[in-house]
Amino acid sequence: MTSDRSPTGHDVELAALAAAGDRRAYGELVRRHGSSVRGLLRRMGADSTTADDLAQDAFLAGFEQVAEYRGEGAFAGWIKRIAARLYLRRVKREARLVFTDAAQDGDDPAALNEPRTANRIDLDEALKSLSRGERLSVSLCYGGDWSHAEVAEALNIPIGTVKSHVKRGLDKLRVRLAQPPEGARREAHG
Amino acid sequence: MAEPDFEAQLVRLFSDAPSFPDAELFNAEISAKLDRGWALRRMLIGAAGVAAGLFAAVQIVATRFSSELQVLSRDGARDASSELSAALNRLNDLVVTPGSGEALWLAAGLAVLAIGFAVTRAMEEF
Repeated sequence: MTSDRSPTGHDVELAALAAAGDRRAYGELVRRHGSSVRGLLRRMGADSTTADDLAQDAFLAGFEQVAEYRGEGAFAGWIKRIAARLYLRRVKREARLVFTDAAQDGDDPAALNEPRTANRIDLDEALKSLSRGERLSVSLCYGGDWSHAEVAEALNIPIGTVKSHVKRGLDKLRVRLAQPPEGARREAHG
Repeated sequence: MAEPDFEAQLVRLFSDAPSFPDAELFNAEISAKLDRGWALRRMLIGAAGVAAGLFAAVQIVATRFSSELQVLSRDGARDASSELSAALNRLNDLVVTPGSGEALWLAAGLAVLAIGFAVTRAMEEF
């Protein structure tokens, strides 16, 4: 007889249960980490529909592979890695990605100074000012805990290019995130 | 702001998962897909087990029939039609005679069940 209560415990314990076929345990892992996976995919540049579809695919693939997760790192990092690879595969397949060292789409200096209507400048908004390569590199390194070498290998670009993407992306984010929110600026002037 | 501080801040920002109003729906969809996948898998395993069992049963019958034919061909003196007729009679006996036929079909049925059960258990374990 099974209980209706959600399983509890550490992620590693739940993953071990899931590896033995316990779908309820895996459902708890989905509940715990679903939002962070969906968030990462959006931050990498996926639209909301694609992000959610891929997040679901990642969790379904994760259930098939969960026996390979031994708890060496956080489960969140493991499942995010699967999701990120699915997204990169999708982007490459659609041939929308051009990874060069030059400025790409979204690399608009004017975007840094354009007025914003939102009261709160958050990371998601700030990431929109980055080019696709910068956004992917920064998101993977800081959101997915990938090394520069891993990003270079996944994107099939030189590691120097990844470092350039990350540096330029950080410079833009620093400027963007340092700007006070619109509401705060209004209050300061009022 | 120093670079390491900013990077640490960025890591913190990234680690803050956004909240989604449809999170419960998202979780439910994945659970439903997992359940559907599992049901489909069990169905396929069962079908494979039945197919394997039937194949085994056919093989058992064919082997018995083959051995009977060998016995007949060793006798060798009868003509082809009487030989075929005798073989069919023997096959008929093999299937309908309570002493042999019932045991054979019982064995085949058990083989089907055993294979289906073994495959299902193996898939659940591994």
